[in-house]
Amino acid sequence: MRRLDMRMNRLFALVAAMVVVLAACSSSGTSPSPSAAASAAPSAAASEAASAAPSSAAPSEAAKAEVRIGSDNFYESKLMAELYAQALEHAGYPVTRQFGLGSRQTRAPVFTKGLVDLVPEYVGSGLGYYDKTLVTGDGEANKTALQAQYDKADNLATVLAIAPGQDQNAAVVRGDTATSLNLTKMSDLAAVQDKLKWGLPPDCDKNPLCKDALESYGIKYPPKVRKALAACDAPIAQALQNKAIDFAWLCSTQPAIAQFGFKVLDDDKKTQPAENLAPVVRNDYLAKVDKAAFSAVLDAVSAKMTTDELTKLGVMVGVDNKDIGDVAKQWLTDNGLLN
Amino acid sequence: MPDIIGWLSDPINWSGDQGIPARLIEHLQICLLAVGAATAIGLPVGLYVGHTGRHAGLAINLANIGRAVPSYALMVGILPIALTLAPTIGYDPDLGLTFLPLFLAMTLLAIPPILVATYAGLREVDRDLIEAGRGMGLTERQILGRLEVPLAVPVIIGGFRTSTLQVIATATIGAILSFGGLGRFIVDGLANRDDAMLFGGAVLVTVLALLVDGVLAVVQHVLTPRALRGKPAPRRPSDDDEDRIDPAMFGVRTADVST
Repeated sequence: MRRLDMRMNRLFALVAAMVVVLAACSSSGTSPSPSAAASAAPSAAASEAASAAPSSAAPSEAAKAEVRIGSDNFYESKLMAELYAQALEHAGYPVTRQFGLGSRQTRAPVFTKGLVDLVPEYVGSGLGYYDKTLVTGDGEANKTALQAQYDKADNLATVLAIAPGQDQNAAVVRGDTATSLNLTKMSDLAAVQDKLKWGLPPDCDKNPLCKDALESYGIKYPPKVRKALAACDAPIAQALQNKAIDFAWLCSTQPAIAQFGFKVLDDDKKTQPAENLAPVVRNDYLAKVDKAAFSAVLDAVSAKMTTDELTKLGVMVGVDNKDIGDVAKQWLTDNGLLN
Repeated sequence: MPDIIGWLSDPINWSGDQGIPARLIEHLQICLLAVGAATAIGLPVGLYVGHTGRHAGLAINLANIGRAVPSYALMVGILPIALTLAPTIGYDPDLGLTFLPLFLAMTLLAIPPILVATYAGLREVDRDLIEAGRGMGLTERQILGRLEVPLAVPVIIGGFRTSTLQVIATATIGAILSFGGLGRFIVDGLANRDDAMLFGGAVLVTVLALLVDGVLAVVQHVLTPRALRGKPAPRRPSDDDEDRIDPAMFGVRTADVST
């Protein structure tokens, strides 16, 4: 009997433990990210205020359907999504934030299946997701080609106007290297290639944007000294800053560039795809609203978003650890988009 | 199903400074250095806390931080420090990128099993036996060297095995910071969507880990005092330090004591 009691006790303990673990897992799984939660509160209040005082009264409230905004799981995508969200809230659209949906590989299906209505997209990589061979160095051309892909996919979505700002693959050297070797553009690299330690991503051999691009500048591939480091990552930037490497592939708006005074070399042969940012909206959502009015809100944001602005905002979020909601609100206010 | 066997049997992958043998040597080097450093730290500390019983909680909890923090986070967290440290101590900045962060992270990963096993192995030695040794006039050093360590050897080497196994498997992450080793195939395979290379690399790491563990199992057997052989040596130290010594080794039949 005693044995049985003990067994029962153990069983209860096990079940209790599993319940606790399951509860912990499920709550962490469904709760939104801290930044999303933090920014959701004030902006929800803002949207209430906006709808309470319908000053810009033109379309009826019914035409302002709720919009679910998603983003990738990194600061710049979240920041753009938050900018869109606050601008739309200001214009009276109810917004649900579903930020941090992973990388494009996981986020794209979420969008395709209609779980979110609007996402920020880089037109080059967004197009590359469908067909790498179509990507060009021209932002408008990439936008048009990406739109064609969505049209082909059952008229899925509309790519709104692109921002001048883009987050592009950037060939970067330290400020002191640029000065001492007189480097300003990628064409300058071939002559000094053996003096540099190259930080190249592990897929460089097979990546036309890496190997082929370097070769088009007359750089012999592979260079004598190379280190395999993922592009746009923190380690490659730290390695560059500390002279473990002299050349790195970063992203043009990466905060480290401004933070450590790196020099971005001009891609004078336009080997890298244009990566202008644009909002992509599902057509089934656009059918529920006044499309022109909805687009106008986002176009106004895109028009002001240059690469410099993106970089500045990136430093605030990525280096100074400011809240994305606050940074977005300040930027929209400064640019007269919340008046 | 990727063609793992095709990848493993392609002679191109077995030659040059990026071939499997070269990567294997790099991998073994870092593992040897890390486990060596971890032994140099974990073993003496384990012997001290195990013999004296002093500061045991502190030492074990401190060591376990190395186990609790994911090695990847540890390595990337160490990177900025290592990058500035390398030139300061007169080395090429390269060292701070490829070698130091991985070496330090692997050492911190390797310390806990060795330290904890050494401690547990010593604590498992029968207290009466140690008292008898004292009674016979053995010094503390002799008690440690002649009684405790020989009796604890299977457990200590068990910790050493765990440690080595973990380091061989985990050192693959060094490839993220441009280190060589067998992790290169995994990281490059992933980046290039070359599944044969990715899984081929994983198979190599697994085989290496099992082979090394097999060799250490033999070493463990050879170094175990004859009287303790014949029963499976404990792989992992347990938390309780109850009397676990087999009375049979003192010529006592089990039936005599268990009644």
